[in-house]
Amino acid sequence: MASRLNIVLAVLAAWAAPVAGSATAGDSVPVATAPELGAARINTLDPAGLPAVKIQDLHYGDVLFHFYARDHFEALVRLSAYREQRHLNPHARDAELLRGGLYLSLGQHREARETFERLLADTTTPAQVRDRAWFYLGKVLYATGHFDQSERALRAVSGGLQIELESERRLLIAQGLMYRGQFDAAIAELDGWQGPDNWTAYGRFNLGVALVRANRAERGHAMLEQVGLLRTTDSELRSLRDKANLALGYALLQAGQPAAARTALDRVRLEGPQANKALLGAGWADAAGGDYQQALVPWVELHGRDLLDAAVQESYLAVPYAYAELSAIGQAVGYYEQAIEAYDAERIRIEESIAAIRSGRLLTAALAADRGAQSDWFAQLTSLPDAPESRYLYHLLAGHEFQEGLKSYRSLESMAQNLDGWSTSLGAFSDMLGTRASAFAGKLPEADRRLAMVDVADINRRRDDLRAQLEAALRDRDTTALATEAERQWLAMLAGVDAELAAHAGDASFDEAREKARLTRGVLTWNLDAVWKTRVWQAQRAMRELDAVVYDARTRHAGAVKARKGTPERAAALSVRVDAVSPRVTGLAVRVAATKEAQGRRLADIAINELEEQRRRLDEYSVQARYAIATIYDRASSGAP
Amino acid sequence: MRAWIKATAVPAIMLLALATSRAEEQAEQPTPERSALDAEVQGLRREVVDLNRDLFMLEEDLLFPASTQIAVFVSMDVGTFFDLDSVQIRIDGKEVSNYLYTAREREALLRGGVQRIWLGNMKAGEHELVAFFTGQGTHERDYKRGTTLAIDKGVGAKYVELRISDRLRKLQPEFVVKVWE
Repeated sequence: MASRLNIVLAVLAAWAAPVAGSATAGDSVPVATAPELGAARINTLDPAGLPAVKIQDLHYGDVLFHFYARDHFEALVRLSAYREQRHLNPHARDAELLRGGLYLSLGQHREARETFERLLADTTTPAQVRDRAWFYLGKVLYATGHFDQSERALRAVSGGLQIELESERRLLIAQGLMYRGQFDAAIAELDGWQGPDNWTAYGRFNLGVALVRANRAERGHAMLEQVGLLRTTDSELRSLRDKANLALGYALLQAGQPAAARTALDRVRLEGPQANKALLGAGWADAAGGDYQQALVPWVELHGRDLLDAAVQESYLAVPYAYAELSAIGQAVGYYEQAIEAYDAERIRIEESIAAIRSGRLLTAALAADRGAQSDWFAQLTSLPDAPESRYLYHLLAGHEFQEGLKSYRSLESMAQNLDGWSTSLGAFSDMLGTRASAFAGKLPEADRRLAMVDVADINRRRDDLRAQLEAALRDRDTTALATEAERQWLAMLAGVDAELAAHAGDASFDEAREKARLTRGVLTWNLDAVWKTRVWQAQRAMRELDAVVYDARTRHAGAVKARKGTPERAAALSVRVDAVSPRVTGLAVRVAATKEAQGRRLADIAINELEEQRRRLDEYSVQARYAIATIYDRASSGAP
Repeated sequence: MRAWIKATAVPAIMLLALATSRAEEQAEQPTPERSALDAEVQGLRREVVDLNRDLFMLEEDLLFPASTQIAVFVSMDVGTFFDLDSVQIRIDGKEVSNYLYTAREREALLRGGVQRIWLGNMKAGEHELVAFFTGQGTHERDYKRGTTLAIDKGVGAKYVELRISDRLRKLQPEFVVKVWE
């Protein structure tokens, strides 16, 4: 029984880790988590947590579009670029907060921390933004295992968070306390706390675990039972309910209450990820009550499952153990022999898999399995071919370390693809600049010829002369200045007549002609005076139009001259930028490739270590099974009971 | 015999439990080599983000200089009466973009994201922009609506927002075009 207590303690310890908030269901973005010990409910940078914002610059909306579409890398790139281009000034603080959050979700903890700290150091940051900055800083610190500092940051929030974030803040504080073994403080944090339904369930689970760990088993069991009896169709909560029932079942086993343990373990779904451990525990609960016949029911069910699971491997010893307890020695021996055979066969498969992993085939299979279906990779893995390199993927991918490692590998692969794409684009940019330079050089002589034909100064001078003439006419009310061509001819003709008449001054025979000339001039002067106002208005309008045309011509000319001068300068500046950035792309591509290779080796090491651990465990089981058979035969031959 | 079998079987189960604990311990305490590799991945990611930022701006400056640049954005407000499938944009009668939305992108628009659907160049002067919105209207009826905008392009970048909003009084979607300077 003492041994069993140890088991229960150890299993409970595995489950008695805090649980925190969740990413949105199906979310594939990296989640900021502390080393995961149990179930986790930790939000990634939650789109729903962003405050509603009235878009004042479309570019900030574009960043939000990529963020909400969960393309965090693109969102961060655009945010950084638009920030440089000064598009985000109306949203500067929100953008900065988002930038920190994006770094956090990409796993760039240092940058995230620096961003939030910068926001907090700025005394002009509004209180609401400060609260969110404190909160996210707390998350960064939590994710990097700095639980003390995380708690201080989370407690610095002054109450301005939305309910979802506030719930997460509360749970993060409690989790941090639990990771530091401060269970009483965690209990004080969670006791009586009521948040939104999902969060409350996680809070109760954590409270239950903390109570058990603080040796307040009765209340702890009651709290876990509350979660274990949740009625829900939500897949996340169903999973939590299974965990609660499993933890409760093992805790009750530890407390010497096998019947109650069996009830809790029976509530775990038969097809969930906790099912195998629950079946194993259910058998132990029956066995603890002395009902080995009943214990065989869950253990035989477990016996028929996938041997990769440690609980299933265990059942290969548990079943014959129960038969032996029931004095069915023949069946016990048969099952022990079956166990040895199964362990041996599995060991050979593990060796094949290790060889396949060493040959580098694992990563191809792992990436193919989750490519394009990151949110549903577990489902996809179940349909993988039973090849040595992929047989243990499901098992490996369930491990935190391998998952994190694969995430980094995938990130490196996408970086490599990104750099490869830019490398091609940069080649095209260089070609484009070259083509533009050639086209510009080809058009230059004709452009220069045309530019040379235009004398802007002469146009200006002529326009100024016209303006001066008009102003003089207006000042002197010179109606003849605005005369039409016909009127000018009339005036010229009259001047000629006047000259002729002057030559015959004093000659009375010209008096009639003089009178006609006077009358004609009078009529002409009258007419010119009558249309003066109209003509002034027309002349002024024409002058304004001329001004506009001259301005356009001058602007276009200036533009053409500027383009003539600026195009080669601009092209040269762009060439410099292309030339400067090319080695960065190449250099990074080399480093990414090398790191990717190292990461691949690391993943292979993790996988091989894990499989070797499995093989060692199978070896030990195998030895125990052989020893049990030998002992049974020994006892039988010696006639011992 | 019974006692012995218990003695052999129980430690086996302990192994299971201890193995779980050990794995967790390893996850909590990364080796220096692993930490260095993680740090290298983080450093590279940071550099790749910075590089992408610079290249993003370089590409824009090269292909879409501010003097001729025009950017068209799509936004969505509420979306009760319209489920967006695609947006087609024509400039002066020529199709320049035909974008089909995924469920995730639709959700991003509904949450308040504004998509830069097209970035291009336009000479100074008068132009015509026509946008067609295709999707499902009320009662799951297929819906296609067009909207036209006369653009007077001057010197400097021009930003056009195509906004889909709900017209509550008529229980119909509304398509509004707004020009930002």
